[in-house]
Amino acid sequence: MRILLVEDEPTLRTQLALALQAAGYAVDEVDNGLDALHLGQTEPFDAVVLDLGLPQLDGLSVLRRWREEGHAMPVLILTARDHWHDKVAGIDAGADDYLTKPFHGEELLARLRALIRRASGLASPLLRCGPLSLDTRSGRVTVGDEPVNLTSHEYKVLAYLMHRPGAVVSRSELTEHIYAQDHDRDSNTIEVFVARLRRKLPAELIETVRGLGYRLVPTP
Amino acid sequence: MTRRVASLRWRLLAATLAAMAVALTLAGVLLQSLFREHVMRQTEADLLRQLDLLTARLVVDAADQPRVDAAALADPRWQQPYSGLYWQVDRQSPVPAQGVLRSRSLWEDTLALPMDEPVRGEVHRHTVAGPQDSELRVLERTVRVGQSDSAWRLGVAVDLAETGAAVARFRGQLVLSLAVLLVLLGLAAWAQVAVGLRPLRDLRAALAALREGRAHRLPSGLPAEVQPLVDDFNRVLARQEDHLSRARTQAGNLAHALKTPLAVLDQLATQAEPPADWRHHVREQVALARRHVDWQLAQARASAAGQRRGHRTEVAPTGNALLRVMDKVHAQRHLDLGAHWPREPLVFAGEEPDLQELLGNLLDNACQWAQSSVALIGQRLPNDRLVLCVDDDGPGIAPEAREQALARGGRLDERKPGSGLGLAIAHDLARRYEGTLTLEDSPLGGLRVRVELPAAPNLA
Repeated sequence: MRILLVEDEPTLRTQLALALQAAGYAVDEVDNGLDALHLGQTEPFDAVVLDLGLPQLDGLSVLRRWREEGHAMPVLILTARDHWHDKVAGIDAGADDYLTKPFHGEELLARLRALIRRASGLASPLLRCGPLSLDTRSGRVTVGDEPVNLTSHEYKVLAYLMHRPGAVVSRSELTEHIYAQDHDRDSNTIEVFVARLRRKLPAELIETVRGLGYRLVPTP
Repeated sequence: MTRRVASLRWRLLAATLAAMAVALTLAGVLLQSLFREHVMRQTEADLLRQLDLLTARLVVDAADQPRVDAAALADPRWQQPYSGLYWQVDRQSPVPAQGVLRSRSLWEDTLALPMDEPVRGEVHRHTVAGPQDSELRVLERTVRVGQSDSAWRLGVAVDLAETGAAVARFRGQLVLSLAVLLVLLGLAAWAQVAVGLRPLRDLRAALAALREGRAHRLPSGLPAEVQPLVDDFNRVLARQEDHLSRARTQAGNLAHALKTPLAVLDQLATQAEPPADWRHHVREQVALARRHVDWQLAQARASAAGQRRGHRTEVAPTGNALLRVMDKVHAQRHLDLGAHWPREPLVFAGEEPDLQELLGNLLDNACQWAQSSVALIGQRLPNDRLVLCVDDDGPGIAPEAREQALARGGRLDERKPGSGLGLAIAHDLARRYEGTLTLEDSPLGGLRVRVELPAAPNLA
């Protein structure tokens, strides 16, 4: 899952980025409205954390432009001002949720998880696929009752696939969603991660659709 | 400041002086013409008397020769050559002859009376050229004496130079006296302006004293034209002071309130072996500090509420917008959010941000506690009031605990997120609009918050 983090206050941005990375997200950090607008227009993000008071272009304008252009990724806005007026303006501009500063890191993560889940049409924070289950709150993966130990990248690949149950996901799509932009991307590594996942999970769970990509198949 | 007062004084003085100069000039012109007219009338009356005297003394002898007894005409000027007073008798008919008889003062000249045919006895007036380039005013009449067939034309004349000199003398004196009058009036105006503007100068001094901290209010006892201004200014000062002292109190309250959590945190940091649950303690103290900050921010916002009149805010759009926010923010709770508005638009007599603050807090609270549904109901009451009810189907609040729930920061349950200030903030806002907020049982099973607020009249 790839998150765009837009926040101009460097300390808070670093803290948030660390918390998000620790929770298994690939994070792109941006400190101004124009860069945020551009990245949101060109990169596929699974969610955006958007501060409202930004240099160059304010958060609400960025959000409105995205929505006008049809970019529908879930957006959570951060605002220092807790006036209801600002919340109404944010939601009416197309935000999906808001958080008032100061906030707890856990609350941000919980709300982001909920947003991403809702965007995928999933109701429960516990994602299931046959015997496999993934708890988005704790990051725990189990097959049956047995816990499975995954590396951070393996987790990212699996989590993305589990948010798209039944859909064919291409290698490049996986690359785009598990790496941040400045990361050295190599789509061959995806094959390595999938191979490792197949060893740790029931092998037939991740199906290769020739020429297209991968699909998670619920097996009995 | 000095320049402005000076310019005010100069403007008043200049206007007064200009008006006075115009008025005095007009008066001078009028007086002079009145005087000239008067002198002319006097001169002619005098001449008429002389003409009558001459007429009475005219005798015609048997040879039809006119004679005037010079001794009978008393005025010495008749005898003095070119004295400026002349008489002359002309024969009119049957054979006209000029200067048949003349006063001695005419010396060798004759009066060239213009030819006209006056009815017998009627007095005619002329201005003619006289001896030595003088200008004469002439009164003349034609008479017959006794049985004589001859008509005699009798004329008396006076030199106008004398009247002209009198008028000129008068004009000189008039101009001088008017000039003196103008100067005196100018001085009076100067004094008047100085006295009249003194309160402004005093006011300036009072303002200076205020600025330097020697006084707290502008003085009273100023003229009725200035005092209302001063009273208004004093009221503004009082309000400023009030705001300032309230702001200081609030800042002080906040500072004091933050000291406790800071002390606890400090204590934790300096302990050699912090307790195992130190994270929990830190969280708790940060939450406490945050509640204080939230409360003071809400107070700062609310302090402006309800002060300005004449605002109109339609309730339904505001309520619906907030329900959209709740729908997003509490999406994971899958609540059934409904609004019920009357057919007539419901208009709150206040500002939109205040209504948003009030309803936002109440709806957020309801959404946090509701099991499955939240309802917002608006209704118009008589007497320009409206009522808004926020219902939920949560656990509600027991009647005996309701008062505490409305108290500042009163938080009955720590299980739900939020600062617990929502109800208190809404309560405070409602009171600032002279409204009420009460907690009741909801027909949905949970809590109903009932807010009564002033309504603006429908314009339609």
